[in-house]
Amino acid sequence: MMSGYIFLAVLNGLLIGLSRALNGKLGLMIGPLRASFWNHLVGFVFLAAVLMILGGWSVENLSAAPALAWLGGTFGALFVATNSLVLPRLGAIRTVVLVICGQMVAGLLIDYLANDAAIEPLQLAGIAIIMLGVFAARLSGTRKASGTAGQSAAKTG
Amino acid sequence: MIGRSADWLSALAAGALLAVMIACNGLLAKHSAPVFASWAAHGTGAAAALLLVAGWSRIFKRQEAGTQKKGPAWAYLGGVPGALTVVLAAITTNSPLALSGTIAFMLVGQVIFGMAMDCFGLFGVAKRPFAATDVAVVALVLSGSVLLTFGGR
Repeated sequence: MMSGYIFLAVLNGLLIGLSRALNGKLGLMIGPLRASFWNHLVGFVFLAAVLMILGGWSVENLSAAPALAWLGGTFGALFVATNSLVLPRLGAIRTVVLVICGQMVAGLLIDYLANDAAIEPLQLAGIAIIMLGVFAARLSGTRKASGTAGQSAAKTG
Repeated sequence: MIGRSADWLSALAAGALLAVMIACNGLLAKHSAPVFASWAAHGTGAAAALLLVAGWSRIFKRQEAGTQKKGPAWAYLGGVPGALTVVLAAITTNSPLALSGTIAFMLVGQVIFGMAMDCFGLFGVAKRPFAATDVAVVALVLSGSVLLTFGGR
């Protein structure tokens, strides 16, 4: 049973990758902002169908939701546009790693600031290790870039 | 070089935007249900993106254009797997995996998909063989994320 849930969660990660890949491709075709629009419109129609089939229109307590709760879509629109812009430029794995880094650090800060959660020493260690990973990627990326520049300089020379 | 650094910073900022989005949607889900909240967020997101498209053409006096003129129609379907994510996450967070386990295994799935994209040059991404440093980077970021996710109380 547990392995079934693990499979579902990994599959979910693959679906996230697929969604971002399609949006990146669409961004190349019509621009990242339009890609973000189509992503949200198609998702809106799809989820409307899911809600009609499965039910779950829960609107009773919506009036009690703070204004901030309604801003998720706006941040999502900005996220999809930004991700679609950089994905074809940086490559997939680099984009994935950098987005995870930004998401993890910001997520911890939000927990700390908004939910009054204490930051544990293990979590600080986690942040340090993530930063180390991004730093390593940056270093190897720069070295590779200057390496190819050196090669082409050698060729022209 | 400057352009590249801007891309790196944009990707980091995108991750932060994602965290804020998830926090807001979580707040909305608390007052409704996960799938309903995601549906509402997709609606407001479509409206926001439309405003961004309109704002772009007003400011730059031209339409935002892509670099590839033609492409497959299935590229428009990114919203479907994206929306399905919320449904699946609602299932696994309510399982023994809980939220931390769900996050950890979803990160693994994302990394696998990203590796495959680079490796085979899928979806308009340049084909790039996987290097030893990439393995180290992925291992560091994944293990750091797991520590961060499970290290909380």
